[in-house]
Amino acid sequence: MVNIKDYDSDVENKWCPGCGNFGILAAMKDALAAQGIPPEKILIISGIGQAAKTPHYLKCNLFHALHGRALPLATGAKIANHELTILVNSGDGDCYGEGGNHFMHAVRRNIDVTLLVHNNKVYGLTKGQASPTSDEGMITKIQSDGVLSETFNPLSVALALGAGFVARSFSGKTEHLSKIIQEGIKHKGFSLIDILQPCVSFNNVNTFDWYRKRVYDLFEEGYIPDDFNKAMELSRMWGDKIPIGIIYQKEKPSYTDKIKKLVESTLISGKYSQEKVRNAIESL
Amino acid sequence: MSVDISVKIGGEAGQGIQTVGDILARVCLKCGLYLMAINDFESRIRGGHSFFQIRISDKPVNAPNHSINLLLALDKKSFDLHEKELVKGGISLMEEVDAPAKKNIIAIPFFELAKESGGKITSNIVAAGACLALLGAPFGIIREVITEGFASKGEDIVEKNLNAAKAGYESVGKISFKFAFKWKASRPRGILIDGSRAIALGALAADCRFAAFYPMSPATGIMAHLASAANEFPLVVEQAEDEISAVNMIIGASFAGARAMTATSGGGFCLMTEGLGLSGITETPIVIVNAQRPGPATGMATRTAQADLLFAINASQDEFPRFIFAPGSPAEAFETTARAFHLAEKYQVPAIILVDQYLNDSLFIAGKALKVPGKVKKFIVSDTDMKNPSEYKRYALTNSGISPRAIPCNGRAIVMVSGNEHKEDGHSSESAQTRTEMVNKRNAKLSGMLSGMNPPETYFPESKILLAGWGSTKAAIREAVEMLRKDGINAGCVNFSDLWPFPAAETKKAFLTCEKFYMVEQNSTAQLGRLIKEQTALSYSGAVLKYDGRPFYPVEIADGIKKYMR
Repeated sequence: MVNIKDYDSDVENKWCPGCGNFGILAAMKDALAAQGIPPEKILIISGIGQAAKTPHYLKCNLFHALHGRALPLATGAKIANHELTILVNSGDGDCYGEGGNHFMHAVRRNIDVTLLVHNNKVYGLTKGQASPTSDEGMITKIQSDGVLSETFNPLSVALALGAGFVARSFSGKTEHLSKIIQEGIKHKGFSLIDILQPCVSFNNVNTFDWYRKRVYDLFEEGYIPDDFNKAMELSRMWGDKIPIGIIYQKEKPSYTDKIKKLVESTLISGKYSQEKVRNAIESL
Repeated sequence: MSVDISVKIGGEAGQGIQTVGDILARVCLKCGLYLMAINDFESRIRGGHSFFQIRISDKPVNAPNHSINLLLALDKKSFDLHEKELVKGGISLMEEVDAPAKKNIIAIPFFELAKESGGKITSNIVAAGACLALLGAPFGIIREVITEGFASKGEDIVEKNLNAAKAGYESVGKISFKFAFKWKASRPRGILIDGSRAIALGALAADCRFAAFYPMSPATGIMAHLASAANEFPLVVEQAEDEISAVNMIIGASFAGARAMTATSGGGFCLMTEGLGLSGITETPIVIVNAQRPGPATGMATRTAQADLLFAINASQDEFPRFIFAPGSPAEAFETTARAFHLAEKYQVPAIILVDQYLNDSLFIAGKALKVPGKVKKFIVSDTDMKNPSEYKRYALTNSGISPRAIPCNGRAIVMVSGNEHKEDGHSSESAQTRTEMVNKRNAKLSGMLSGMNPPETYFPESKILLAGWGSTKAAIREAVEMLRKDGINAGCVNFSDLWPFPAAETKKAFLTCEKFYMVEQNSTAQLGRLIKEQTALSYSGAVLKYDGRPFYPVEIADGIKKYMR
């Protein structure tokens, strides 16, 4: 039995009071406990940003890496030991901005990790600049005439690239988020969970209240996430009604499933053979 | 009789120069001859001008010669460009259609003979046959080499190529060639190997489990060799979306317990410097091969250079220990790669191997057998090595600076790693004291690391003047020393392969008795000379520098040094 308290960390939390990240942290602990994964059996990898501090705030194996580079790092770790359960904590700037290329290719590889993007539609750690997911027209200290670029839509992008698990949740609904995280962990392959996360310091538009009035649970509506076209349509829905839940799911072999030698054992448990190296030299 | 001749095969990319070169090299090998060969090509797939230049000798040769005895010109341009390199009595073999009427040209209808024998695509094989016949090579050995070389393509292809070679062989008839010599079947003098393959084999001998890369000349060959061997080994080779991803992937794999490497060239290495720093601060061992080419930016993709030394030593922001190696031959590249993995893991630091296009793409004979260890020593701890695994601290402070390294999810020990400055347990910290302690802890590894460095290798160390260089220029510098000594100049040389942490004491010792020393480097500012000055306060008296993208010929070095002697 794993208890939620087992994940408690004694590290001082540095998020702003009331931050949307607290809901995500609570949901992660709840999901891990519900799945019976003890702290020593989970690896959490993160990039840089407020979201990337998350693994320090719960007890787990962790690699707090570079801005935007959590996914390649997770890919390497997963290939080395595909028995690892890996979560990645990232933010909208970290994952869709600095790490945009890596995001695309992690989706393509279908590497079996669960990606949690704390999407607050703004840069928090660097104090309020626009992020790739900021709405067009959003005014910030830097974007004083409003954001000029289109909003990055992670769900549509992931779908277009063939993602097998595309979901959205809201950090104000911890129970919902916990369930989605659990489904993401169970899903064999790359799972994207884009989490709507209010930033209480720098985003005064997309607040808890703003989201509460708009989000609705697809599961409660009886939605079955197996229709790509329907999923694409839902991924583009924004405004008065914002769907949350699993938007699309399709199991297919993950990246490490497709590497034949990994069927029998993990890469790190393979055996060195002097004879084989000698043969490789002699075959010259 | 002593043999030392050079044959240049020139033509357009796509004309099969490589195949001709490979046949020549393998025939030499089977006749107990020594050889070395350089590959010179443009950054294109078809057309342009390329050449393969092979030096054949009955004594070990490890550097190219500046002049040639036989020019196999597969197009007119090759003749026009290289005629001037022919020695007196040297000859050019050429396609009859293109051949001007000149005394030093033997015109052979390669194309017509190919059509009649093996089909028109075999005209390079006709040329190979003619070339070997002129040199006096026995057809029996050529037959063996072609049969073995084309065996995988089926009997029909073997037959066609044999016919083509035979037609070429007979086409030169009884033409006598001043530099022909007696060949006879004999035991090979070693294995035929280029730097790329040597590095790949070194990685296998070090139990490398994961390699990620983004294609970039002249490093791609290393990964191609690893990929082609991967099926036999617990090894995965992954082509990443960019070099940033590649370096982070290998950090992730290493963190999870797999020895991991990447290979790139200067431009890719630029992109990897952020990851290099991550490896440094998280103390995650990785091996990066930087196969140098001229830069900056794209520079010259298929050319050679040695201009990334000071960059490699200083790459990434702030300071952290790292290893830098620059092997001087394929045999050294094999040994150094294996050692780089060992030392990187032992000290939990990144190791950078600097090679270059010349070393990677040139063929050499490695005389001594490459040593493959029976067991590969690993430095990873698990619960059983710990008093209390639940209290495990990834960055525990120690005198040596080395903290026991556990891997994640491998027991009760929880492994926490951070690219932010961190406390002993791995959690981020902004404490002034912790910061200082951690910098000191990482730097503390330097003295241990230094003890693992080989001193520079010397040749005629007691000489009045010494030539100093690093990496792939070793053999050319040594041959230049021999030339200088023949001319009565009391010269020796010092060749560096282990460059960082810099072996300052050994360097001082090497230069202790000489009157003057001169740098020989393939960059424009004598980077090693500057490093020696910084680390030992010894100043070089001059430098022979070549940075045109082409490898050194020994005579260029000797001539350069002689200018200082006047």
